[in-house]
Amino acid sequence: MSGFKETLKDALRQVSFRTSVEKLRKKGIQEVSVLGLDRIVGLVEAAVHRSLRTRLMGIEREAVAESTKAEFLRLLRSHEDLQREKSEIERARERAEEEIDQMRRELTQKQSALQDRLERGSVDQANRYVGEDAAIAAKVTEVIGAIASESDTASHEVLNERLMALVMDVVSAERQSADGARKELQDREVGILQRRIKKLSDTLSSTEQRLVKATAVKDFDTGISSIYREVQGLNTADTQAAKKKELMADIFRANLALQKRSKGA
Amino acid sequence: MSDNSDKSTNRADEDKKDHGVLYIGMDLGTSRTSVSASNGVRETVFSTVGYPKDHVSSKLLQKDVLFGKEAIEKRMSLRVYRPLEKGVIKSEADGGDDANMKAARDLIGEAIRIAKPRSDELVYCVIGAPAEASMTNREAIIEAAREHVDSVMLCSEPFAVAYGLDWLEDVLVCDIGAGTTDLCRMHGTMPEDSDQVMFDVAGDAVDAELAKQIEATCPGAQFTIQMVKEIKERYGFVGEPSERVMVELPVDGKPTTFDLTEQLQAACSVLIAPIVDGIKQLVATFDPEFQQKLKNRVLLAGGGSMVKDLDTAVEHAMHERLGGGKVIRIEEPIYGGSNGALKIAHDMPEDYWEQLK
Repeated sequence: MSGFKETLKDALRQVSFRTSVEKLRKKGIQEVSVLGLDRIVGLVEAAVHRSLRTRLMGIEREAVAESTKAEFLRLLRSHEDLQREKSEIERARERAEEEIDQMRRELTQKQSALQDRLERGSVDQANRYVGEDAAIAAKVTEVIGAIASESDTASHEVLNERLMALVMDVVSAERQSADGARKELQDREVGILQRRIKKLSDTLSSTEQRLVKATAVKDFDTGISSIYREVQGLNTADTQAAKKKELMADIFRANLALQKRSKGA
Repeated sequence: MSDNSDKSTNRADEDKKDHGVLYIGMDLGTSRTSVSASNGVRETVFSTVGYPKDHVSSKLLQKDVLFGKEAIEKRMSLRVYRPLEKGVIKSEADGGDDANMKAARDLIGEAIRIAKPRSDELVYCVIGAPAEASMTNREAIIEAAREHVDSVMLCSEPFAVAYGLDWLEDVLVCDIGAGTTDLCRMHGTMPEDSDQVMFDVAGDAVDAELAKQIEATCPGAQFTIQMVKEIKERYGFVGEPSERVMVELPVDGKPTTFDLTEQLQAACSVLIAPIVDGIKQLVATFDPEFQQKLKNRVLLAGGGSMVKDLDTAVEHAMHERLGGGKVIRIEEPIYGGSNGALKIAHDMPEDYWEQLK
């Protein structure tokens, strides 16, 4: 029983909330009635017993009381389990949010790394050109130095030849490189075009076959079929069949006479 | 006319026509030609035929002949014919010319073409001709149709209307066309001449009267007979107007609104007196035992019957002059004749068609 009392007290504490006298005063509450926890537990116990006593005459009240308590405890435990689950879900959500944040940070890092690499690539290219330019300048300086160290009567032809050789050297290297790149590009474009041509040829071939089949269907008739496959005539079930038969005969005779007159003319 | 080789060729051609039988019912009218066929086609075309005036218009139009609405729209570039003026084809004998006959032939050919016949089907056609068409006219129609169908017959147009509705006895058909109004009384047998009355107060007469009225009451208004016809078809009425008829006509190039209510009423009312005269004539010469029945079964048909409240007005006039009567407008005035002709074609025995091939 004491265990039940303690459990009940705990349950009451869980459903209650704490507040201060100041807050109550701010809400306009000047006086409150105070009821101690033990008193509430006592009242609940008394209510339960009284209820059992009046309603369960001749039945084992103790057994009912015990089962009621067990049910109460079961509900309380279920409430505690739910609270625990809620905490776990909240923890799982927090973990997921952390992971998302982590992934966002990694994504930002990778994007900046990519940006760096792209910038470095262009810098490398620029540096390569600087390097190449320096190499060219060094060669030119060497040539000019060689010419200057020779006698003052060095001929224009020698100067020209050596400068020309240097320039042609550099230019031919660039040309080879450009030619290589151009050829590669051309090969790629040619490849694309060849594939397109093949596709078009295949389409043309199949269309020609369809055209041959269509033209083979001669005398395509655009008329609409009649609903009758045979000549009809009067419906013998018609109530006016006899009269209509006479009328048909009259029409026919008039037309036959007209036709004979026309042929005679 | 045809030798043995032609006959054997024709027979060979017919042997190929084993897909079925197409029946065509045709109503040849002054203003419209309607076609009803057993393949479900129902079409109507204005009975107007146009030929390019010169080489330039021929190249522009890219056609040697135009029909119906297209011919009307392009009329400035065409020589236009209405080959069935007043319900008859004007042949040379009637003061017409070859061109008119050609236009009539082409129109009939076009009417059959729009029925969309198959080349592997027999085509049997019944054409409703005006009641008082001359022999020459009938021969011309038959001759034109035979170029396009396997077998063709003519019948009286008002008779076709009555036959289509299964009203074979004690009924008076009043077919109001553009060129003529045809009245025909049915008494269970083929109508004779005495059973038929025709007069030329019809749709075109209403157009002429309306044009005269507009000319007199709308100073400066510019219009053509085609415009007048469209106004009539859209707003035509007799009796009390349900609303005012306001129409725009150009005056010195500027669209101007005119109230044509009274003018329309007056123009359309020209139909009433001649119709009642015709009814009176046919009723009065009918078997007295059946005159009352005949008066109570007056059928209004044809495009002219679409004038609003015309049936009521004729009925009212019959009450005043003939002591009573009942007028019924058929449900499909435009196709009443062609539907009836189709029904005749359907009911015609096979050996009759064969003999007329």
